[in-house]
Amino acid sequence: MNSFFLILSSFIIAYLLFSSLSYLGLFALAFQKVKNENNLVHRESTEVFLRNQNTYPVSILVPAYNEEVGVVSTVRSLLALDYPQKEVIVIDDGSKDMTSAEMIKEFKMVQIPFAFRTHIPTAEIVAIYQSSIFPYVRLIKKANGGKADALNAGINLSAFPYFCAIDGDSILENDGLIKTMKPIIESDGQVIVTGGSVRIANGSTISRSKVEVVDLPRHPVVIMQIVEYFRAFLIGRLALSQLNILLIVSGAFGVFNKERVIQAGGYNKNTVGEDMELVVRLHRLLREEKSKQRIEYVPDPVCWTEAPESLEVLRSQRIRWQRGLFETLWTHRKMMLNPKYGAVGMLSMPYFLFIELLGAVFELLGYFMIFGGFFFSLIDPNVALVMFVVTILYGSLISALAVLLEELTLHKYPRISHLMRLYFWALTEAFWYRPLMVIWRVQGIFAAFHKKAHWGDMKRKGIST
Amino acid sequence: MNIYFFWALIAFLFLSQVFLLGALSLRKLLMNHKEKTISQQYDRLTESFSSYMMDPTDDRFLKEIDTVSNQSVVLERLLNHYVAITKGSVTSSQVSQLSEKYLTERYKKQLKCNNWAIRMNTLYFIEDFHMKSLSPLLKKKLQKSFRLNLETQQLIRTLTSLNEPMTLSALARYADAPVRLYIDVFKRLELDIQLEELDAALKHGHNNKVLKHAAVSYIGMTGLMGFLPRIEEELLSDDEELRIQALKSIQHLQYISSPSLLIPFFHSTSWQERMFAARIAGKLQLSRFQEVLSELLGDSVWWVRYSSAEALTQFADGDILLSHLSATHPDRYARDMATQWEASLLGSEE
Repeated sequence: MNSFFLILSSFIIAYLLFSSLSYLGLFALAFQKVKNENNLVHRESTEVFLRNQNTYPVSILVPAYNEEVGVVSTVRSLLALDYPQKEVIVIDDGSKDMTSAEMIKEFKMVQIPFAFRTHIPTAEIVAIYQSSIFPYVRLIKKANGGKADALNAGINLSAFPYFCAIDGDSILENDGLIKTMKPIIESDGQVIVTGGSVRIANGSTISRSKVEVVDLPRHPVVIMQIVEYFRAFLIGRLALSQLNILLIVSGAFGVFNKERVIQAGGYNKNTVGEDMELVVRLHRLLREEKSKQRIEYVPDPVCWTEAPESLEVLRSQRIRWQRGLFETLWTHRKMMLNPKYGAVGMLSMPYFLFIELLGAVFELLGYFMIFGGFFFSLIDPNVALVMFVVTILYGSLISALAVLLEELTLHKYPRISHLMRLYFWALTEAFWYRPLMVIWRVQGIFAAFHKKAHWGDMKRKGIST
Repeated sequence: MNIYFFWALIAFLFLSQVFLLGALSLRKLLMNHKEKTISQQYDRLTESFSSYMMDPTDDRFLKEIDTVSNQSVVLERLLNHYVAITKGSVTSSQVSQLSEKYLTERYKKQLKCNNWAIRMNTLYFIEDFHMKSLSPLLKKKLQKSFRLNLETQQLIRTLTSLNEPMTLSALARYADAPVRLYIDVFKRLELDIQLEELDAALKHGHNNKVLKHAAVSYIGMTGLMGFLPRIEEELLSDDEELRIQALKSIQHLQYISSPSLLIPFFHSTSWQERMFAARIAGKLQLSRFQEVLSELLGDSVWWVRYSSAEALTQFADGDILLSHLSATHPDRYARDMATQWEASLLGSEE
């Protein structure tokens, strides 16, 4: 029995070490790009597209469920975007509050019998409205069908060749859309999806879609999420994008080639991770067609979102994310370690399975071993100690490194006190935040077996003034 | 591997991080201090700079800038801000003069810098400040470049903005040069050279189709009516993409010498041609085509139906026509589209 625990604990130690090193390896891949892009004067690099009539027009889709508090300010921020040609489509997915009423009142909307194409079947469309002040602002009122269904309805109504999906509670910077469209325009359509960096707005002052003052929130739970975002975006996504094997474009904000999405069948209504699932399906389509088109990530922050401050909301968010990841990997299990799908099948899918999904299971086992070693003599206390030490390495020190790497490349937080606070909280990760995440992520895997798609509700305070 | 190895690993990583944290904090402190100084100097010079830009005889700014420690950075910011505000409306010789005097050496170094973003920024600023003295250096750089990457593209734009039409022939070296880049080049040329180059592109377009497409597209975008007969000639071209570009240009120019030129396009096998023909008929309010637009309302392609209905709204009696078609058109989709546009017209009147 003892030898069984010894082998298991050695395996977990090796796994945690491997994971830590893989993060470092990924960062090494991404470092130069982050550093270069950050030095670029963006106004100069995007204005050439702003004045060009050949810049692709974009349909902005805003799925909304019970968003009466923020939907109008979100649409107003979208109207203020610097972009040559756009339309804004809000999809009210059977809200029980005044989401539609607010839109209709604020934008003087009138009901129109819109002759849209049903590229993808959706739940029943109740009515379509058009603003009489801004004819390119529309509202779809539909029966509840989930976020994926709402986005599909938006795709059906949209007129333009590219669409941007943005969460109702997110604030896009004025030049966010043009920055995200830049790789698509520059590649003459060879890039079919772009995802931008999403930043946490809690603590910062945002006014009229512009971040006036970047500051840190007081709540440690939110600070830890900021650190987590550093690690995910700065290390994970950028490196995978460099290799054209990025599987996640944040649901909060992404731009897609509509024709390709329709070809892939639109968003999947049967998963809560519809954003990731769509990207994986698009990869699959590209690989099966042997297409040279690609999916890219823009490291510059383009979108600000509100992070949950309560543990309860954070828990349900993480369970949903993990469940979405599990469902996506399961749906596309055929791609796993399949050379036919190139680096996506051989590198990216295993990375998401072993590091992002099963990492939580291995870590949980590690916690059992540590406690078992100390209290129940299941394993040698020395081995438990090693495991404890490696867990700190895996959690706190890698997160602290992510903070330092952010400062080395992007340095978006202006004060030294910001750096110190971020670093300090990152060091505490292994002792409180990470165990919570591990438990919720394991719960998320179990939750995947209960099929019921729903919106991720969160009580909003609003992030824009 | 025993416990000491792992403790040593943790200690090593932690100590390296503490060292890095210290270094980064110090860097941040210095950067913040420098930024504060630059901002103060910028604020202090703004008034005399504005005054100098409006009246060059007021030379207070020239004396002040010589005393500033972060001279080139402050000047770059002042000029950049000025150019951003006045872009497209005013071209100032002072911008060129100041940048030539204070920034040339710095930019020469930066163009050779290893950091890609710094080289790119330098190219943007040279373009914005019209620093002609750097033209020979940029030309050399272009000759050495073999790939049309983002930097080469910006190099071509910058050189063109310094009125170097050779960039068109340089661009022709790259088989993968996109239409938008040719358009960017046309846009930056001075008017007389631009007209010459457009004329040449239309004449010798068979050698470079992308160039010709760009020329046709650019003429439409900028409304160069003098080229209308040449654009109309392109409607007879064998190249479908070129015909589409010509139709698009006519739509932008909002004029056609003989509306009958459009007739073949209403029945074209290409839906894009049918769509643009419908749009032009609407934009130019060519009422003789109302009947054909009514037919196109039942086209098999959504965009053609959409554009035909939109075209019908442009006519004075469009609402009546759409109302009639929404009730009587034999095609179900055409009726839906007519209903949508009829309602949209009502909405816009409320």
